[in-house]
Amino acid sequence: MITMWVALSAAAVLAVSALATAWAQSKIGTAGAAALAEKPELAGTIVILVAIPETMVILGFIVAVLIILRGGGGG
Amino acid sequence: MIVPMARLRLLGPRERFDVALRCVQTLGELQLADVQHREGVSAAHLEPRTERRRTQLMRLLSDVDAAMHALGLAGPQAASGAAATVAEFARWARLAARTRTQARQLAERETALGEERALLTRYHEFLVAVAPDVRRLAGNPRLTSHAVVVPASGRAGLEGLANSLRESLGAEFSMTVHELHGGDAAVFLVLPTRFNERIEAQLSAAHVPEVPLPPEYRALPLEAAVPKMLARLIEIPAELATCRERRATLARTQGPQLVTARAAIQDWLDAAAARERTAVTTHGFTIEGWLPERAVAEFEERVTSAAGPTVIVETIAREAWGAEEVPVVLTNPRLFHPFELLIALLPLPRYGSIDPTPFVAVFFPLIFGMILGDVGYGLALGGLALLVHHRAAPDSMMRSATEIALPCSLFAIIFGVLFGEFFGDLPQRLFHLHPLVLDREKSVFAALAAAVGLGVVQIVLGLILGAITSARHDRKHALGSGVSAAMVLLVVAALLAAFKILPSALFTPSVIALLCAFPVLIFAEGIIAPVEMLATLGNVLSYARIMALGTASVMLAIVANQMVGAVGSTAVGLLFALLFHLVNFAIGVFSPAIHTLRLHYVEFFGKFYKPGGRRFQPFGHRAANPAATNTTQQVARRQP
Repeated sequence: MITMWVALSAAAVLAVSALATAWAQSKIGTAGAAALAEKPELAGTIVILVAIPETMVILGFIVAVLIILRGGGGG
Repeated sequence: MIVPMARLRLLGPRERFDVALRCVQTLGELQLADVQHREGVSAAHLEPRTERRRTQLMRLLSDVDAAMHALGLAGPQAASGAAATVAEFARWARLAARTRTQARQLAERETALGEERALLTRYHEFLVAVAPDVRRLAGNPRLTSHAVVVPASGRAGLEGLANSLRESLGAEFSMTVHELHGGDAAVFLVLPTRFNERIEAQLSAAHVPEVPLPPEYRALPLEAAVPKMLARLIEIPAELATCRERRATLARTQGPQLVTARAAIQDWLDAAAARERTAVTTHGFTIEGWLPERAVAEFEERVTSAAGPTVIVETIAREAWGAEEVPVVLTNPRLFHPFELLIALLPLPRYGSIDPTPFVAVFFPLIFGMILGDVGYGLALGGLALLVHHRAAPDSMMRSATEIALPCSLFAIIFGVLFGEFFGDLPQRLFHLHPLVLDREKSVFAALAAAVGLGVVQIVLGLILGAITSARHDRKHALGSGVSAAMVLLVVAALLAAFKILPSALFTPSVIALLCAFPVLIFAEGIIAPVEMLATLGNVLSYARIMALGTASVMLAIVANQMVGAVGSTAVGLLFALLFHLVNFAIGVFSPAIHTLRLHYVEFFGKFYKPGGRRFQPFGHRAANPAATNTTQQVARRQP
């Protein structure tokens, strides 16, 4: 039973953080594409801007790993 | 590093002004700076006659650009720095006008031919379908023809229409149906000429439109128009090729002259604009500008020899100018030079701040290698980089990118050895070899600690660099950066002591030191300091992505290896594994590059980087700089 809750918690953490990242990247990506149409030289900066929200899913991934390892779900 | 710059002032008698300005342009080393005008001192404005010439040359430049554009010539190329006389400008004006007209006529002809071909191509299928019937009909004055296109939906009623027409028009009537692309049908009707009006009325009543021919063929009967249109379709490509060839010949013969003309006109206009930035009195002149400090002595010597001993060069004291107006030149050792490409994505660093290129050159490959951390992928990346490097043009962006990729692949190989990874867990799977330092698949906490540890190092280094940058002009901010660096280290020490990695006895002193540092931080940075401190600690944690991306990469590689034997036959499994490794390699190169850049730009640079530098753009010829030995002759020859 505990293992199931551990797995569900880890999945929820990753899912929520991934959705948040996706939402943020969609907004930044849209604005970035519009900016690129006018200033193609901003390509590098925009790629970096799009990568910034990935912190959320990466930290989500780490928390999920910690939940699995610390919660005894790692086998 | 940022090259130290010097501000120079050229002084001389008024009559040597033009010579001195030409000399500066020919040397192409000095970026002009605006000279402050005082009473009795003014900019060297152009005389009315020269001002008129400037207007003419601006118009000529626009003509030359238009001619080059019409010929499809790319941006101006370097030509020669030879002098331009009034006669040459006049010749170029005639050349530009003539070439522009010819090129425009050819371009218009090409457009018209292209449009005609596009129009006829639309009829091509229909023309080919009805052409045999039309040929049969040609030369028979008793018969006439009509062509209609019946849509696919109306084809069912064709048979009935044919029968009804045959009954009313007699045996001489015939109808041929040709299937067209998309299900439509081309219907060709042949009938005696005397029934022409009746068939037109019947077609109109049945709402069947005749095929509308292009305007120039509408007056002709179908049996005359169809062969002409088909013949025209064959002729057009040859005519188009002739036009293109003539335009290419024009570009080949007149292009170099236009490029030379553009460079010379732009030179003249640049020189005229430069005069506005200088200062003259009745008897003397002043030109000021920037150039790298190391080039001052040689520049002085060249100016004196080219403009004469009456023109002197003096260095303006450092106290007389501010850092914000100084242009920036970056210089780095050969090994670090390609990494300037990564700095070029941001605004230039301000003069007097720190050029981050050497730090990026060390940390970028290190972090990239730590994330990828696989001998196999490292070798693949290195091989790919070598291949592209071999083919890329010297000094191209692609060449620089490969020169960045090579150290990255080297670090990936080194970390791959330490992590015991060769396309994932193949060494353990095949040879039972174990990692030398860290197993990223199992030791997640150790990998996390290593990533955050690297974050501590880079963030503390950033804060120290920030303190050094601010020390000259903002000592309070420098103190704040220094205290922040110390506090990050104290937090780390307290945490390590709390988890008994360091002796527990260190915990209390670390916490006490933190509490003591806190008021100093607020004094230096203000009330916002605690928030900034938390943000700094957040920046350190952001380096956890090194571990996260690395773990994801190794897990994908392991999944790829597990496919062998898991999916059908070994061969199919091997194919899937190779495909998966290829995908993982692509992700494994792109993702670490983006995230390593982000760690540098956002976390590391945020602590010390001062953007806002102006690029160094020396005043010179648009064309290639002539040799220094020719300087005197050229300066003497060229007068704006």
